[in-house]
Amino acid sequence: MRLSRQSAALAGSVAAVALLAACSGGSSTPTASGTGTGSGTSAASAGTVRPFDPAHKGGTFLALAKAAGGTLDPQVNYTLQYWQLYQATYDGLVAFTKADGEASFTVVPDLAESIPTPTNDGKTYVFTLRKGIKFSDGKEVTVDDVVASFQRLYKVSSPTAGSFYSGIVGADACIKTPKTCTLEGGVVGDAAAGTVTINLKAPDAEILYKLAVPHASVLPKDAPAEDAGTKPIAGTGAYMFESYDPNKALVLKRNPNFTEWNRAAQPEGYPDQITMQFGQTVEAAVTAVQNGQADWVFDDIPADRLGEIGTTYADQAHVNALTAYWYLPMNVNIPPFDNLKARQAVNYAVDRAAIVKLFGGSNLAAPVCTILPPGFPGHVDDCQYSKPAGATWTAPDLEKAKQLVQESGTAGQEVQVIVQDDEVNKAIGENVASTLTQIGYKATAKPISGNIQFTYIQNTKNKVQISLSQWYQDYPAASDFLNVLLGCASFVPESDSSINIAGYCNKDVQAQMDKALALGVTDQKAADEIWAQVDKAVMTDSPQAPLITPKKIDFLGKRVGNYQFSKQFYMLVSQLWVQ
Amino acid sequence: MGRFALRRLASMVFVLFSISVLVFLIFFATPGADPAARIAGRNASQETLAQVRASFGLDRPIWVQYVLMMKRLFVDRDLTSFVNRGAEVLPQVTQAIPVTLSLVIGSAVIWMTVGILMGALSARYRGTWVDPVIMLLGVVGVSLPVYWVGEVVNLVTQNRLHESVFSWVPPLGYAPLSDGVGQWALHLLFPWLTLAVLYAGIYARVLRGEMVTALGEDFVRTARAKGVSERRILVRHALRTSLIPVVSLFGLDFGALVGGSALLTEVVFGLQGVGKLTYNALQNFDLPVILATVIYAAFFVVLANAIVDLLYAWLDPRVRHA
Amino acid sequence: MTDGPTHAPVARPEAPSASPAGQPASGPVPATGPWRTALRHLRRDRVAMGSAVVLLLVVAACLLAPVYEKSIAGTDAFTSNVNGTTVVDGQEVPVMQAEAGGLGLGVTPIGPTGDPAHYLLGADPQGRDVAARLLYGGRNSLFIGAVSALLCCALAVLVGVSAGYFGGVVDGVLSRVLDVLWAFPVYLLAICLSVVLLTSGVTLGPVTIDAGSLALPVFIIGLIYVPYVARPLRGQVMSLREKEFIQSSVGAGASDLRILVREVLPNVLPTVIVFLPLMTSINMLTESALSFLSIGVQPPDASWGTIINDGLGLLYTRPAVAIAPGAAIAVTAVALNLLGDGVRDALDPKAKLRGAV
Repeated sequence: MRLSRQSAALAGSVAAVALLAACSGGSSTPTASGTGTGSGTSAASAGTVRPFDPAHKGGTFLALAKAAGGTLDPQVNYTLQYWQLYQATYDGLVAFTKADGEASFTVVPDLAESIPTPTNDGKTYVFTLRKGIKFSDGKEVTVDDVVASFQRLYKVSSPTAGSFYSGIVGADACIKTPKTCTLEGGVVGDAAAGTVTINLKAPDAEILYKLAVPHASVLPKDAPAEDAGTKPIAGTGAYMFESYDPNKALVLKRNPNFTEWNRAAQPEGYPDQITMQFGQTVEAAVTAVQNGQADWVFDDIPADRLGEIGTTYADQAHVNALTAYWYLPMNVNIPPFDNLKARQAVNYAVDRAAIVKLFGGSNLAAPVCTILPPGFPGHVDDCQYSKPAGATWTAPDLEKAKQLVQESGTAGQEVQVIVQDDEVNKAIGENVASTLTQIGYKATAKPISGNIQFTYIQNTKNKVQISLSQWYQDYPAASDFLNVLLGCASFVPESDSSINIAGYCNKDVQAQMDKALALGVTDQKAADEIWAQVDKAVMTDSPQAPLITPKKIDFLGKRVGNYQFSKQFYMLVSQLWVQ
Repeated sequence: MGRFALRRLASMVFVLFSISVLVFLIFFATPGADPAARIAGRNASQETLAQVRASFGLDRPIWVQYVLMMKRLFVDRDLTSFVNRGAEVLPQVTQAIPVTLSLVIGSAVIWMTVGILMGALSARYRGTWVDPVIMLLGVVGVSLPVYWVGEVVNLVTQNRLHESVFSWVPPLGYAPLSDGVGQWALHLLFPWLTLAVLYAGIYARVLRGEMVTALGEDFVRTARAKGVSERRILVRHALRTSLIPVVSLFGLDFGALVGGSALLTEVVFGLQGVGKLTYNALQNFDLPVILATVIYAAFFVVLANAIVDLLYAWLDPRVRHA
Repeated sequence: MTDGPTHAPVARPEAPSASPAGQPASGPVPATGPWRTALRHLRRDRVAMGSAVVLLLVVAACLLAPVYEKSIAGTDAFTSNVNGTTVVDGQEVPVMQAEAGGLGLGVTPIGPTGDPAHYLLGADPQGRDVAARLLYGGRNSLFIGAVSALLCCALAVLVGVSAGYFGGVVDGVLSRVLDVLWAFPVYLLAICLSVVLLTSGVTLGPVTIDAGSLALPVFIIGLIYVPYVARPLRGQVMSLREKEFIQSSVGAGASDLRILVREVLPNVLPTVIVFLPLMTSINMLTESALSFLSIGVQPPDASWGTIINDGLGLLYTRPAVAIAPGAAIAVTAVALNLLGDGVRDALDPKAKLRGAV
C-alpha cells in the first residue's frame, strides 16, 4: 500500500506505540525462521488471503493465558493480547490485511468502500461508508457512528489520542477538554452522501496505519463516553464478545449479524466460539496443550519447556520473527552514561550471543546493533560495535570497552541495571551486570516487579542509569522506533510517560528525523534511506545498546490447522481450524 | 467479660484501620506505583496521562482518596480494579473464598488427624525408638520451604511420573464442588498434603510437649495410683487437657490461612484463592484489590486472635484484668 | 510468611514459666549456677550435640566456599559464563547446551556431572557452577538467618519487656503496634520495600543502609517476626512483675532500670536463647520465600533462596539446581530445630514454644 504522499511532517511526538505486550513484556522464547516453520498447515499460500473452506467451520478454540489483559474497550486497551482478538470483533474505516506474512502490512478498505486519494494537499480524506453493515446488536452502521467513535477516542482518553490522532483538525481542543469534544472540522459526516471526511492539520504519511489499529474502531454512537471496562461493546466483526471476567475467561461467539464484505479486511471465521481462559501458570498451560486439553498457549513458553516443544511437539509449534527489539537504554543525563565513551563501551562489551542464549537460543532471537529491526522499513545491516566491525554482529570487544571506560574516567563507579523480575529479563540483566563489572564498573542487576519497571525507568526522578526494555512495533514505519524512542518530544522529565528512556535529544538528529517524516509523505523510499542514516547517527551517539530481535512461538494443539501469522497483529485467531 | 469483649472489638477496629492506612501510605510512597501511566498506555501524551489520573481521582489529596476508596469498598461496595478497569473488587474476593476454604479445611482435617496421632503416639512411646523417629519426621516437615515442596510435588506428579504412577493426577487448578466431590478432592489432594506436611509437624511437636507435661501432672499421678489403665490415662486425661492449647493454636492458624496465608501453596498449585488473588494484585500493584484482600486477611487474623483471647479470658479470669 | 503459621511460638496469656531450670522463681539468678547446669545437660543430649556438629560442618563448608571455587572447581561463582565450556569425560562441552533436534529451541545449562572439578551439581541459568554458589549462598542464608534472629530477639526483648514491665499506656501502645505488625501482610511490605529500598537504600537516623546491602533482608525479616517473640516475653514479664523478689526490689526503692537489668532480664534470657535457633531456622525459610519476590540477596550474590528461585525455571530439565539448595535448607533447619529442642530441654523445659514454619 504505502500511503499517500505529500508534504509535511508530523508535529511533535507522534506515533509511538508498541503493542505493550500485555503481560509485562517479559519472557522467554520464541524461535526459528521466517514464517511458520514447523507445522505443515502453514505451508499453503503464504502472503495471500486464503478462501473460506466451509468444511472446517465449527468447534470451540480454547486459549490459555496467565492473566487477563485489562479493559475490554477497544479504544482504550493497548495490549497485544486483546489487539489480536479485536481483529475478529471490530473494524475501522480501513484495516491491515488478514493474511500470512508480509502481506499483513498492507492496509485495505474495511468499513470504507475504498481507500480515498487525499485531496487538499494531502490533508483531506473522504471515506465512503459501505452500506448494510450491522453491529452485533443489530443496528446498522451509519456515518454518525463513525463520527461519534472518533470523538469517543478523546472522551475515553485513549492512550494514543494525544499521539496518533493529534494531527486531526480540532484534536487539540478535544485533548484539552475531552468532555466537550466535537472534532469540528476534523471528522465530518455527511449522512445523505454516506461519507466521512477526515481533515488533517498537516499531511501525514502514516495516517492510514493509524486508522487501521483498534483504537480507531468504529463503535455504536451510544457506546458509553467512558472506558467501558469489562462490559463488551458491540462491534462489526465476524465475532462478538459474549462475556468477560478477568479472573476467569473471555468468550467470543459468532456475530449473528455478520456477512463477509471484504475478506482481506474482515474474513468469516472458522470456530463457532473462541475462549481465552485466565489464571493457569504458563507451565500448566503448556502441559494442557500437550495433553490435548487446550488449543493455544498465549504467553511466551518457559525456557524449560522449549526443548521438548522444539522436538517432540515440533509440528505443533510455529516460529516467526517479530519486528521488535530488546535494548538497554542508557541515561545520557546522569553518570556514568552522560559520557559518550562510557556508553560506547557498553555497546562494545555486551555479549549479544550470550543474551541470545539466555533468550532461548539462536532460533529464537538474533543479535542486533541497529534500532530498526531487520525486515523493517529503513533497516540496513550495520554494526559499529562488533569485533570486527561490519554489517552484522560477530563478537563483543571487551578490550576496546575496557579501554573506553578507562578513558572516560568513569571506571569504578557503581551502576544498577534495572530489569523486570521475570526469568528471562532477570537472566539478561544479570548477564549485563556481569559484563559491566568486567569492563570496570561495580554493577548489580536490580529486578523489580514487571508491572512497574516500565514506568519506573521512564521517570527521571528515579535516576535510573541503565535498564532493560523492549519495543514492539505498532505499525510498519521507522518513526515508530526512532522518533518515538529517541525523539526530543518523547523526553519529558519527571513524568512516568517519557518513552525516550535514555533522555536523548540531539538537535541535528531530530532535524533529520523531521525531514524524513516530511519526505515520507511524498517519497517513502527516500525517507527510509534517511531513516537508515538516522539510525546510524544515533548508534554513534550510543544512547542505547540494542541487544536482540526476538521471535515468537505459537504452540498449538494437535487438532489446530490453517495457521497464519500476521506481522502486524500476530496469529490470526479467527482463521484457525479446530476441526 | 462484656467489657473485655468490647475492648477487643475496639482494638480490632483500630488494627484494621491502621493496616488500611499503612497499605495506602506504603503504596503511594513506592516509586512507580502510580497506576496512571500504566493505565494510560505506552507513550501516552501528558494530557492523556493527566486525564487518566483525574478519572481515578489520583490527583486529589491523599486523604480524600483514602476516604473515597474506603467508602466505595464498605458503603457503596462498587470499588473497581485499577488494572482490569470495571472489574469489581468484592465479587473477586467472594469468588476466591470457596477455593481457599476448600484448601484450608481439607488440609486442616489431614494435619489435625496426622498431627494428633503423631503427637499422641510419640508421648505414649516416650523413651522408645518410636518417639524420636516420629519427632524427627515432624521436624523435617517443619523445616521444608512450602513452595519448594509444592514445586517438587508438581515436578513428580505432573511431569516425571505423570505417564506412569501419577497418570490419575488432574491438571493444576481448582474444580468446584459442582463438578462433583470426587473431582474437587482429586484436584485438591496434593495441595492439601503439601500444606499439611508443615502443620502436621508443628502440631505433633506441640501436642507431644503438652502431653509430656500433662503426664507429669498430679492428676495423672493420682489416676495412675488409682489403677486407671495407661491407655485411658493417655486418652482421657493427658490428651484431653493437652488439646486445649492445640485447639487455640488451631484457631490462630486457621484464621491466618483462611485470610490468605496459604498464598504460596495457592500460587504453586494454581488455585484461584484469596492468597493468589492477593499475590496477583501485588504483582500488578492493583491498589483496590490489595486493600480489599489485605483488610479481609487482617480481619481473619485479628478475629482468630480475639476469639482465642476471649476463650482464654473465659477460662482464666485473671487475663481480663491484664 | 511462607505458608506457615503467622505466629511462630505460641503466645499465651497464661504466661509460661519464667525460671531457668532448677531455679525456683523466688530470687535473683546467681551468675553461674543454672547456666552451668544447663550446659552440662546439653552436652549429654546426643541429638542436640549431633545437630551442633552438623551445623558446624555446614558453616565450615560455607566458609570454605572460596577454596572450593578457586582450587577445586576452578570457576568464578559470580561471573556469567554463558559462552563457556567445561570438560565432561575428557570431552570439552559447552556449559549452556543448545537443543539441536527438531526446531532447535531452547538452551539448557549443563546438568550435574558428579565431578567436583567440573560442575559437580551442574550450571545455573547464567552458566555458573551451582555447587560453588551453593556454598557461597549458604553463607548469606546463615548470616541472614542468624543476624535477623538476633535482631528480632533484641527488638522483641525491648518491646516485650517494656510492655510487660511498665504496663498501662506503654503496654497499650506497644501491644497495638504488635497487633498491627502481626496482621500486616508481609508480602506487601516486602514488595514495596523491595522497590523503595533496593533501588535507593534507606536512612534511619544515623544509620544508612545501602541499596542491595545484606542489611536490608536482615532488617525486614527481623522486623516482621518481632510480635512472635515479643508477645510471650510480655506475658512472662507480666507474671514476673507480680513475683515477690521484684516486688521487694520495687519496695526497696530500686530504679526501674536497675530492676530491669538485674532482675527481669536474667529471667527472660533463657527464653530468648531458646528462641534463637528456632528463629534462625524460621528466618532462613522466610529468606527463601522472599527470594520468590526478588527481595533479599541481590544478584550476582546468592543465597539458598535465590538459587532455588533460579532453579525453579529449570525444574523440568535440571531439577538439581532447585533441589540442592532446598535440601541444604532442610538439613540446616532440621539441625537448628533439634538443637533448639535440646537448648530448651536444658534451659527451660517448661517453655512452651513451637518449632515453626
